[in-house]
Amino acid sequence: MIEINQLSHHFTLGKKGQQTRLDVLKNISLHVNEGEIVSIVGRSGSGKSTLLNLISGFIHPSEGEILILDQKVSEFTEEEFADFRLKNMGFIFQSFQLIPSMTAYENVELPLILKGVSEQARKQMTLDMLKTVGLDTFKDHYPSELSGGQQQRVSIARALILEPPLILADEPTGSLDSETEADLLNFIKKLNRERGITFVIITHDDEVARIGHRTIEIADGELVKSGVLV
Amino acid sequence: MKLKDQFRFIQQNMKKNKMRVSMTILASAMSVAFLIVLASVAFGLHDTVIKDTIESPEVTQIEVAGKDIGNGNAESLSNEDIEQIEALEGVNAVTRSKQVRQETRYITEGYEINTQTIQSHFPSMKNAGMDLGEGAFPEEKDEVAVGYHFALNLLKDDVDPEEAEYGEDGHLIPEQRFSGEIIGQTFDLEFKRMQDGEEITETVPVTVTGVIEKPGREWAWDQNVYITDEKLAELEAITGTSKAMLTDPADAAEDTGYDSATVYADDLETVKSVMTSLEEEGYFVYSMVSEMSQINTLFNIAKAGLIFIGTIAILIASIGIFNTMTMAVTERAPDIGIMKAIGASPKVIKRIFLLESTYIGLIGAVIGIAVSYVISIGVNLALPLILESAFDEELPQGLQFSSIPFSLVLIAVAICLIVTMLSGMRPAKRATEIDVLKAMRREV
Ligand SMILES: Nc1ncnc2c1ncn2[C@@H]1O[C@H](COP(=O)(O)OP(=O)(O)OP(=O)(O)O)[C@@H](O)[C@H]1O
Ligand SMILES: [Mg+2]
Repeated sequence: MIEINQLSHHFTLGKKGQQTRLDVLKNISLHVNEGEIVSIVGRSGSGKSTLLNLISGFIHPSEGEILILDQKVSEFTEEEFADFRLKNMGFIFQSFQLIPSMTAYENVELPLILKGVSEQARKQMTLDMLKTVGLDTFKDHYPSELSGGQQQRVSIARALILEPPLILADEPTGSLDSETEADLLNFIKKLNRERGITFVIITHDDEVARIGHRTIEIADGELVKSGVLV
Repeated sequence: MKLKDQFRFIQQNMKKNKMRVSMTILASAMSVAFLIVLASVAFGLHDTVIKDTIESPEVTQIEVAGKDIGNGNAESLSNEDIEQIEALEGVNAVTRSKQVRQETRYITEGYEINTQTIQSHFPSMKNAGMDLGEGAFPEEKDEVAVGYHFALNLLKDDVDPEEAEYGEDGHLIPEQRFSGEIIGQTFDLEFKRMQDGEEITETVPVTVTGVIEKPGREWAWDQNVYITDEKLAELEAITGTSKAMLTDPADAAEDTGYDSATVYADDLETVKSVMTSLEEEGYFVYSMVSEMSQINTLFNIAKAGLIFIGTIAILIASIGIFNTMTMAVTERAPDIGIMKAIGASPKVIKRIFLLESTYIGLIGAVIGIAVSYVISIGVNLALPLILESAFDEELPQGLQFSSIPFSLVLIAVAICLIVTMLSGMRPAKRATEIDVLKAMRREV
């Protein structure tokens, strides 16, 4: 599903003339199989989010290559990557990233609109998806009128609506209480089991890390170990 | 993303800031109305001038002043020339005349008048569609037509010409002038011939069959007598000179041809081509059409100038659109970032913002056009009233101050759309450059 070869990334900091280079990821190679749940752990500032952002195409790698679904996405243009994201990737963010001026329904519908799905088909799909995440009665609520857990479920619904084969999540439970977190983890497991969706999840939380078939640890921008947890 | 959905997006976005958007629309509507109303004056006056020209019967006439015989010299038209012109395509008729080269006098029982005698080719006048004011065109040799003012200046012969009195209208007072029916009236045409240095008076009979229409221009005066070709030939035979000139036949000059000739084109469309073929044949020509092309050039320059000034107004309004769009992009940057993250392509985002600025411009243009029509109609109704009461003078019929042809509407819309699209370009580009990560951290 994902193949990363000798990936390095650095940021350039400071004003012009007195710039310093910050190497965040150093020579990372890894593999994520189809149908896997992979959790990425590591200390704060170790470069986890940077890795996920590179996979998502939000930033462009300094060196190395990334292949997703056998396509060399690290060489995509912005345009191509946007299209690829829409078709193949779903995102769950720590801070949900819902559009505040749109209702739950409209937020979930957005990827369908972007893909050009007809209005009629959209309606049924969106309502079904809202039911799946248990929010059909909240469809006309704005994000500000929903609890954190409900907002996260809206964002999951949005990530799932186009049925992507890959879902990337950066600390998806960071803003949730433990009970809601457990619900979410069960849901992720179910999606993985029933639909074969591949998950890459960044987390600080051992509970969360445990649902992964595999855990990858990053320290100071380098891969420490990559093993299967029980 | 479907166009329909893009439009819904735009409408939702515009609703979020109704006040700002409506002010921007107002500004562009005002600028479009300014451009159209300004330019409509040039269009209106141009239309009026053209209509006047086209509706005048003279528009199909081409005056032929002479023929080029090289070295910048010209020659009057001969019968061969007339035949050549008549054969040209698009020529309906060629009227021509020769003036009798001496003062003539017309006498009937109790009345007389001194006046010019002119030979006219009546069949071609008939072909040209000319009408007499009264009566019929002369057909027989002795038949003549007289000018409109002929009868009005036909003086009683017992009044000394020195003591003739004229009324306010410039004609003889009714007591001194002929009051009977002029058509059918028979006259003696009195003229002179030269023989061995002595003037000998001759008379021939003529009968009036028609009266020429009153000249179009108020000040024009026509008391001439128009005779047939055959009549002129008779006079020439008696005097022994061409155009009945009062000289000894031995000293007489050769026939110098027609004094004037007017070509009547079939219709307005053929005037130009007839003019061109006449010029190619070496004739000196003049027609209203040649004047009209100059007028057209002048008005077209005026139109372009006014449209240019109006464009400046639209450019100023476009600054408003630029501001509105820049603020819209800034306000919506977090949303744009999220949309990009979940897969909205930069192209689509750019298109949405371009569409939005175009939409604002378009609504502005539509409102502006509607307002322009109202103003234009108002100006056409009100201005003549104001001018007439201010200057106490009647304005010519059908005068149009402002006219908005469809082409002007198209030009205004095109300028408005181009300008608004250009002003929306930069903000739209900025929207595509929004960094996803920064936007999601609410850093933009
Ligand atoms: N846009 C950026 N410009 C400069 N430096 C950055 C940028 N983003 C991240 N960094 C730096 O890269 C390093 C890794 O950051 P990253 O966000 O990947 O860490 P992380 O492992 O996700 O941490 P956390 O667990 O706290 O989220 C940090 O030192 C951070 O300061
Ligand atoms: Mg992070």
